[in-house]
Amino acid sequence: MEALRICHLYPDLLNLYGDRGNLLSLCQRLKWRGLPYQLTRISLGEDFDPEAFDLVFLGGGQDYEQALLQEDLLIKKGSAIKEAVLQDVVFLCICGGYQMMGKAYITAEGRRIECLGAIDVITQAGKKRMIGNLVFKPQLDTLPTWLAAGFENHSGRTWPGSGVKPLGRVVKGFGNNGKDGTEGAIYRNVFCSYSHGSLLPKNPRLADELLFRAFARMRPSFKRQDLSPLADVFEEKAGTSILSLLHIRPDG
Amino acid sequence: MRTRAAIITAKFLVLLLRKFGRGGTSLPGKAALWIQPDLLQILTLPLRIILVTGTNGKTTTARIISEILDRAGISHISNRSGSNLLNGIAAMLVEKCSLKGSFSADTALLELDEAAFRLACTRMRPHAVVVTNFFRDQLDRYGELYSTLNAVREGLAHTGPDTALILNADDSLCTSLAKDSKGPVFFYGVEASAVSGDPAKTDLDALHCIYCGSRYAYAHRTYGHLGGFCCPGCGYSRPGLQVACTRILREDTGGMSVDVNLRLPGQEEQTIRMDIALPGLYNLYNALAAAGCGFALNLPVQAVTAAVARFQSGFGRMETLNCGDRQIKLILVKNPAGFNQVLAHLAPVKAGLHAAFLLNDNIADGTDVSWIWDVDFESFSDAPGIPARISVCGRRKWDMALRLKYSGFDEGDIHVEPSYSQLIQNALGAMAPGECLTLLPTYTAMLTIRRELSKHFSLPEFWA
Repeated sequence: MEALRICHLYPDLLNLYGDRGNLLSLCQRLKWRGLPYQLTRISLGEDFDPEAFDLVFLGGGQDYEQALLQEDLLIKKGSAIKEAVLQDVVFLCICGGYQMMGKAYITAEGRRIECLGAIDVITQAGKKRMIGNLVFKPQLDTLPTWLAAGFENHSGRTWPGSGVKPLGRVVKGFGNNGKDGTEGAIYRNVFCSYSHGSLLPKNPRLADELLFRAFARMRPSFKRQDLSPLADVFEEKAGTSILSLLHIRPDG
Repeated sequence: MRTRAAIITAKFLVLLLRKFGRGGTSLPGKAALWIQPDLLQILTLPLRIILVTGTNGKTTTARIISEILDRAGISHISNRSGSNLLNGIAAMLVEKCSLKGSFSADTALLELDEAAFRLACTRMRPHAVVVTNFFRDQLDRYGELYSTLNAVREGLAHTGPDTALILNADDSLCTSLAKDSKGPVFFYGVEASAVSGDPAKTDLDALHCIYCGSRYAYAHRTYGHLGGFCCPGCGYSRPGLQVACTRILREDTGGMSVDVNLRLPGQEEQTIRMDIALPGLYNLYNALAAAGCGFALNLPVQAVTAAVARFQSGFGRMETLNCGDRQIKLILVKNPAGFNQVLAHLAPVKAGLHAAFLLNDNIADGTDVSWIWDVDFESFSDAPGIPARISVCGRRKWDMALRLKYSGFDEGDIHVEPSYSQLIQNALGAMAPGECLTLLPTYTAMLTIRRELSKHFSLPEFWA
């Protein structure tokens, strides 16, 4: 079986709030199933080949680091990343990475900073930081929903356009903008979320959905059952225990 | 009049709280500041002030400085119990002053977190400021790493030419503070000659130049982003050191022996041998910071070397408690950089290790537990040797259990304990007499486990 090719974009700069846990989750779940993978780190000054990867992770960073890579991302890698999105490469983008995939970021002074434009969302700077536990119900066509738990920490308000679907509905917390009850975005195989925590370890269903889509794109005959079930006891407990700490009933 | 009222009220509250067994709270300080908002200025005016701030190592550094002051015969007061916000400082001051607001000591040694440091500098004139380092810590409370650095920078803007600044030269963020100082600056650090091999392959906090954004080149690194940095873009680089560790002669779990080169203003260059009673590179930095403070205050070398050689840490910083015929070692963990250092310390003794990870998400711990995914548990899991028993507990025990699982431990080998009392019972029960249990709690977990332990064993009081 061919190795699943995973790419971590700017691992040395976008490495905030434990987002690398998402990669640990993907890689371990492949390892436990005996499925081979290859993890590549791509950072400043390096080319991104849209044909070279099946699954790409883009995390968030601090303002200083994000400003450093803005030009590299837009000019050096921008068109290749958009090309990969159109070829249905699976993406997971968290927080700052999510914002950068969008069309633009509007600063507090009203200045428009162009972003990648890979997905139809716009982010506006906000004064008050939205910090806290985030619980949402993912809305994927292919999976029954569940209560996903994470932690958000952002001041940008993201507004999804008509070209994307929200990743889920907010149960507790702010989500995209604290107003419209949406959290994250889905476009083709691009999954975006404000949830740190990390997101995938506590939400193994989502991790497996990403893996399934990446394999299915490689080999159309690949079926969901080809990802053998894992016990996921700790995963389940970590998810439900935070719900009970937040006094949220498991049935939502 | 207001001051007197504030002191009396707070002192009364302290007595009352003690009576009900609630030591170490900041409520009396809060009340005192409410009655007299200028209390800190008024009380600290006659005192010589030493402030210690930074992300990691504040408590240990402050306590070594305290030991140095003791040995130099300088009477001093300090905030010892890790309550390093302004209310806590006020509580400590009113507790230790006379009813008229005077002290028998002439020096105050205060450990402050970055936000409290900024405020404190507007209310008092420090004689010496020690900055340990800047690592990511509890970003949900303070925003980003650069905001914590700026908080210290803004505080320093209020200091004058009579404030000595003691800085970690190996930290590019910390070193940048020298520009904000109007007084003498003492740099401490670890030279390339003292370290060998590559540090752990973790991602760095400050990878790019704070001034021009170029990627730093490193002549050597000790851990995290600490080391001999140099910016190829603008030339910003690690400065020359006044207090430099040039050689590590011995290091084991009991501590280390090092050579320290001193280039102090107005003195001949000399190299001294320092025995440090604590293990780990991060404690080497703490000892150097404290020594730097001692030298900045012109205290005798003898007082400094004697203090670091005898210093025993406490209150959850590598504190060892005797629990019947077994021992418990408490090591506070609060952010990835500190946690990585603790795991590096435990990896060589992993075989047969009894350890428990206690994770809470209260405000003092940081409400976001995401940071555990930035800790390099993989290196610990990959290290040779099989631990005797690994347990987890605390409000976010399942997150901790999950983190360990994804680092490579088997689910079945991780004991998830529902309560601290059960943890103590089960973990101690699994040990043979003479063995030691290493507890790695976050801040509030440490307070709780200590309280739980004191029900079963007699422990030293911790608001002393």
